[in-house]
Amino acid sequence: MARDLDYEPSAPKTIKKSTGTRIFEAVAYILLILGSVICVLPFIIIVSGSFTDNATILTKGYSLLPRDFTFSAYQTIFKSPKDILQAYKMNFYYTIVGTGLGLMMITLTGYVISRKEFKYRNTVSFLIYFTSIFGGGMIPWYLMYANVLGLKGSTLAIWFPALMSPFLVILMRTFIVGAVPDAITESAKIDGAGHFTIFCRIVLPVLKPGLATVGLFLALGYWNDWYRSSMFSTNSSTWQLQFYLYDLLNATTAMKQMASNVSMKTADLPTESVKLAMAVVATGPVLLFYPFVQRFFVSGITVGAVKG
Amino acid sequence: MKKKVLSMLLSMTMLAGIMTGCGSAGTQSAADQLEEQGVTEIPVAESTTAAEEATIESAPEAKELDLSQQVDLVFYVMGDAPQDEELVEAALNEKLLEKCNATVDMQFSTWTDFQQKYANEITAQSADLIYIANWLNYGQLASSGAFEELDDMLDTVAPELKAMVGDGSLNMCRVGGKIYAIPNTWPEYVCNGVKYREDLREKYDLPVPDSIENLEAYLKGIKENEPNQGLLTVTTEESQGLKTGFDAAWVLNFKYPWVSTNGLDYGLAANYDSPSDVYDYWYSDDFTEDMKLLKSWADQGFWSKSALSDTNNSDAYKNGLCVAEVAGQNPNKQITAIADFENAGEGWTSEYVAYGEVTNTIYPGHATQNGTAIVRGCKDPERALLVLQTMLCDDEVNSIVQYGIKGTHYDVADGIYKNLQEEAGETPTFPYEGFNTWNLRNGDTKLPQKTDVALQEMFDKYEKLGATTKFPNVNIYDGFSENYEAYSAERSAVSNVMRQYLAPLEAGLVDDVDAAVTEFRDKMKEAGIDKCREEYTKQWKAYCEEYNYQ
Repeated sequence: MARDLDYEPSAPKTIKKSTGTRIFEAVAYILLILGSVICVLPFIIIVSGSFTDNATILTKGYSLLPRDFTFSAYQTIFKSPKDILQAYKMNFYYTIVGTGLGLMMITLTGYVISRKEFKYRNTVSFLIYFTSIFGGGMIPWYLMYANVLGLKGSTLAIWFPALMSPFLVILMRTFIVGAVPDAITESAKIDGAGHFTIFCRIVLPVLKPGLATVGLFLALGYWNDWYRSSMFSTNSSTWQLQFYLYDLLNATTAMKQMASNVSMKTADLPTESVKLAMAVVATGPVLLFYPFVQRFFVSGITVGAVKG
Repeated sequence: MKKKVLSMLLSMTMLAGIMTGCGSAGTQSAADQLEEQGVTEIPVAESTTAAEEATIESAPEAKELDLSQQVDLVFYVMGDAPQDEELVEAALNEKLLEKCNATVDMQFSTWTDFQQKYANEITAQSADLIYIANWLNYGQLASSGAFEELDDMLDTVAPELKAMVGDGSLNMCRVGGKIYAIPNTWPEYVCNGVKYREDLREKYDLPVPDSIENLEAYLKGIKENEPNQGLLTVTTEESQGLKTGFDAAWVLNFKYPWVSTNGLDYGLAANYDSPSDVYDYWYSDDFTEDMKLLKSWADQGFWSKSALSDTNNSDAYKNGLCVAEVAGQNPNKQITAIADFENAGEGWTSEYVAYGEVTNTIYPGHATQNGTAIVRGCKDPERALLVLQTMLCDDEVNSIVQYGIKGTHYDVADGIYKNLQEEAGETPTFPYEGFNTWNLRNGDTKLPQKTDVALQEMFDKYEKLGATTKFPNVNIYDGFSENYEAYSAERSAVSNVMRQYLAPLEAGLVDDVDAAVTEFRDKMKEAGIDKCREEYTKQWKAYCEEYNYQ
């Protein structure tokens, strides 16, 4: 089956496609179109809602094309763009620092536990692996960072806990074991290279696909995280972008709930259209930049494959 | 070889995709679970250190505190920080250094995962002063030793505070006979009730909806005159507890003088005049009767046929999509509605009837609704209490905490608070009660906002009504906190049955009420309601006895 499919596109045009292939193609196209519509529709509704007057959303609901077109939601956001820009800045900071340091530590660890001459490599690997099965739980985790390390309120608490993940270390080790044959490192050793030279000049160059994969995981993880801000931030200027947005929504719902028990003001909560505009502002740049990263990611893997 | 590596890498990436997907979902649900467990798994703080105990025991009568050492305290409050947090904190600390040689750092929970973080904060003992409330499980936390006992310290360190708050309120904060929290001193009436459109009522000469019959007549009258007008936008969202399953059922409060809105949990009920006399509601004939009433309302089209799956649109009333709201309303929301209608300028007016007005069960908020406690493990509990006294009783300090800096953030005109930035059309950098310190409201000096004048009028009316009840102006129910550790499985089963069988029943979306009621009752038995009820009743009766609500 797979072989047929591979073959079909390159077949000479004169050969008629069989009915089976045609049906298959029709079904495949319909499914793909349906799938992309399902993916794209909500986004269109968000964009259109962000340009719609708030009262219209409330009385008439959402629509595909904006009714009562207005920029007011964006004006509200950009009247004081300081907060959202700060959140953006911090998110870039966490993503760059976290991904950079994380990649370095994961690669170095992966290299060490992949070396056969390291006697305790299995023990160390097991210790790393072990943490992915048995965790201390949420409260000890929190106490560790907040009380023992005293990181509460610092930006370190936001990028530090996610630097290494057992899964990524083991992924990297497996990759190094496969990509760098012993013979190469051995010959380098004979030529007088130390571990540092071997790592930098031999292992790293063939490791690009692995770096791309692990790097993307780390970067996406950092970009999309909100939980650590929620736990450790004591000042809104250190918030991650996703937390900034998430908290905005939570504040709205929580305050509405609270308002049935406590006398408090609920008047200045963000309106529907502002929430939607927020979502556009937050995701827009990522949408533009994601396809490029993804292309790099895909090509990173295939480059590695062809070279082999 | 290379191919193998590649395929391995690819499969691992895919696996990772799956794992990260599941992973985040997993952690989230774990967090949710913990949040739910927040009630039962209160982190038990370590017992007081010997040194602390010694200070408490050897405390002499009304001693002078040694203020020579500066103490830096952390005050943990709920919600989001105001933009001018630092500015106001600096002003506050200047005063506090002068008066108590102490500083306070306000820390905010934000509204994300706040219950989890609140529990963390107490476990980690990193805060000194903390906001407490019954909805944050004050009773449970206090009985598990999370807070410092204040009885002796109040006499020695803060007699002024003790006198101001008064024994009545302080006694309501007692857990196991000890005081663990200082309530605010602004009595607040959150009497649930019905908000309705006075302009429409007048226009069509309909009765004031102050009883089930009158509400029905009001809704019916509007439907006859304006067939396209939406009547009620009731959903299941205000009814997530263990009392009701659908918002329309709140109207039954017109009929029963219950000790709290919607009765007690698990379909039990007790009247305000005889709280310890618990009786059965779900298995009574009254219940079947009431369900038939709600079905007749549903059949008349008072709410949407898809009400069970609708999401709550809290702006529906404001935008004229419904003509009354019956669930989760309170005087404050009525005040907001008045302002909203004024802004809309369509000539709409809103009026409010509290359920308790009709059944004579008006009472203010419970003392533990907004209070402050000292976290066990606090650096210096005595100084913390002194700081708390200063923040509550000292007018100068209190106004900085509550309203910010006079002239920058707010001003007072004719005894009424006005936000200067709001008036200038800017986003306020320190709004009214910007630190969310509802626990530091001082009833004697609280500056009213413009809207508070009308609110205060309502409160005054309720206070008079409340004084005529058997327990004058005492909120009985909200001091109670259930400990369901022993039957949490049955409890969640009961909750599920409520969502599945009670909600459609109360929404009138069943064909045969009698059959549906029987089915609901049977399912409840299967879910283990008897065990829940037995335990709950025991705890409730013990509570009534402890506070002498007989």
